[in-house]
Amino acid sequence: MSTSRLTITRRTALRAGALLPTLAMPGLLRAQPAAVKIGILQPLTGALAQDGDLGRLGATLAAEAINGAGGIQALGGAKVELVVADARSNPEAAVQEVEKLQAEGVVAIVGGFASPICLAASQAAARYDLPYIVDVGVSDQITARGLRNTFRFAPGFGMVTGTALENLVRLNDDAGKPCKTVVLVHEDGLFGSGLARLLQAELPKRGFEVLETIAHPTPARDMSNVALRIRSLRPDLVIPSSYYGEFVLLARTMRQQRIRPKGIYAVLNGAASNYRFVKEFPDAAEAVMDCNHWHDPRSEEAKALKAKVDADGRLWAYNVPLNYSCVKLVADAVGRAGAADRNKVIEALATSDFSGHILPYGPTKFVNGQNQGAAPVNTQVQGGDIKVIFPDAFADAKPVFPVQG
Amino acid sequence: MKARDILPLALLLGALALTPLFASNLLLNFLVSALIIALGAQGWNLLGGYGGQLSFGHAALFGTGAYATAILQTTFGVNAWVGFACGIALAALTGWMIGFLSFRARLRGSYFALVTLAFAEVLRILANAAGFTGGAAGLLIKLEPSFANFQFASRAGMLWVVLACILGVSLLTLWIDRGRFGAQLVAVRENEDAARALGVDVLATKLRAIALSGAITGAAGGLYAQNFLYLDANIAYGTWISVEVLIAAIVGGLGTVLGPVVGALALHGVGEVTKGLLGWMTGVDLMLFGVILIAAVAFVPAGLVGALRRLRMRRATP
Repeated sequence: MSTSRLTITRRTALRAGALLPTLAMPGLLRAQPAAVKIGILQPLTGALAQDGDLGRLGATLAAEAINGAGGIQALGGAKVELVVADARSNPEAAVQEVEKLQAEGVVAIVGGFASPICLAASQAAARYDLPYIVDVGVSDQITARGLRNTFRFAPGFGMVTGTALENLVRLNDDAGKPCKTVVLVHEDGLFGSGLARLLQAELPKRGFEVLETIAHPTPARDMSNVALRIRSLRPDLVIPSSYYGEFVLLARTMRQQRIRPKGIYAVLNGAASNYRFVKEFPDAAEAVMDCNHWHDPRSEEAKALKAKVDADGRLWAYNVPLNYSCVKLVADAVGRAGAADRNKVIEALATSDFSGHILPYGPTKFVNGQNQGAAPVNTQVQGGDIKVIFPDAFADAKPVFPVQG
Repeated sequence: MKARDILPLALLLGALALTPLFASNLLLNFLVSALIIALGAQGWNLLGGYGGQLSFGHAALFGTGAYATAILQTTFGVNAWVGFACGIALAALTGWMIGFLSFRARLRGSYFALVTLAFAEVLRILANAAGFTGGAAGLLIKLEPSFANFQFASRAGMLWVVLACILGVSLLTLWIDRGRFGAQLVAVRENEDAARALGVDVLATKLRAIALSGAITGAAGGLYAQNFLYLDANIAYGTWISVEVLIAAIVGGLGTVLGPVVGALALHGVGEVTKGLLGWMTGVDLMLFGVILIAAVAFVPAGLVGALRRLRMRRATP
């Protein structure tokens, strides 16, 4: 009869030690939670490609920030994975991409940029109870349809125009009412036409005389006629509502022809709050005011993000902080829901009081899908930079008004 | 009409009708979008392919069908199906009016093409400015899926409706192709003066063709409105649709029954497949779209259906 003795040599102990992590690995793998997929729908090709690219940049930076901070904590540190889709600057391509994102199993979709894309895509997403967070699209129809899946974190058209009017009156009153006459220049699409109608009705009630309303198509290759008309009318104030190319053309032509009103006060303008315009045409851009989306200039996170974007040689525009904040809003809602379950995420969004954004907003509260805390700000180009001049709570500069020729 | 004429049509449409049994919503949605373009292209093909009257402004007909379907529902509370039928009738009337004004003035070739483009642009600007079209803000049809509302909870429903329309139009085109009206159209296309000398009423033939073309393209517009439930002037009357229907018909095969359907499916299908394979390269599908178009015009002037037909004939010849 033989007895065996269990002897633990140094080598055996080392081997066992080496094997231990391998044995533990399946457990570790199991502990790693599944990534939360978020759909990013942006017009990456076509007429709106520049805006789509900026939106994608904001979303990517948000995903990096969330994952860098350890993922979604409530889901055991689940990483955020972006599924990017190209809306090709038209609504039917956007709907097709919603189907693709649905097949990919995303928990929510962020983006759209243009109102027609947002309207069609959010409706397509509603068929699957797929949460849709509008990044920019301002049409009031977006949140007026009663779709429970659709949320807009940013302000809508009514909110922006109301604030723009209020701030214009305040700006003029504070400066001793130097402006009495106005010329409206607008693109003939959704933003421009709607805005022009509203301003035509509202400005006379506030003591302004609208000398003329000039519509132009998009794209417009020449704004000389518009500039000449403005010169002959000699208004105190020009209120343009156009996309990037057309406003840059108008501002440059006005500068070349030495047309210098007491102020250029843009509303939801494609260029007036755009660093590309400020850098390329600093003379034409100087002192131009805009009522638009913008980041909170006092937020440290916003400053750091802007510095990172600048350092990477990328353009900073409102699309970046808006999409950054919207992706963080979704990640926060998934955390609140405790699962990547669409219905629970919709409920979490509807009752969200999310504050981890970088926008100059009040407390987050969604009513019929519209964030009541959202608000636009007034910006002004001052010394080659874009400064916030209203509201006071977020301002980092005083308005320069009236502009001295 | 022989069984041999209907066989390829029945096979293609039959196969497409069965796709909901196995296909994902992604594929079904793609098919619905591509087939709506195909239907519009069938309308263009009747006038441009058979009649030789090349229009650059079929958006005028597409948009009228779409707007009529949407406005009758949203503003006047008319049933969606009735609105769709009225949209078809109005688009036919619009086509007839455009034809009456331009054909009576004896506009042909590039002059006719430019006039149609102008009509579409005028309608786009008017729709953008008018109040009853929703102006620049556009029109939204409320999402209420039910058969009565011409909205379907599953994508299959819309696919079958679009396929039914394509089947109807294909049979109509086949009948025209084989009949007296088709012969008159081809005669007008080949030589208007000779056709007139042979006793063909050229104006009446062209007007009939453009009205029919309007009805078919208007139906595509109505289906678009019901599928996407949103319209604005740039969608309804934009140049994109004029170009899409024209390209689909040219790539598929001018003056053939199935050409527009094959063309639309091939062009959009290749685009989608490329996007799936090379999704990381933004815009690669659009580049390929351009390459295919150039290649089709340069190397397959008779279109895909024409090329297939030639291949079959070459094989049949010993």
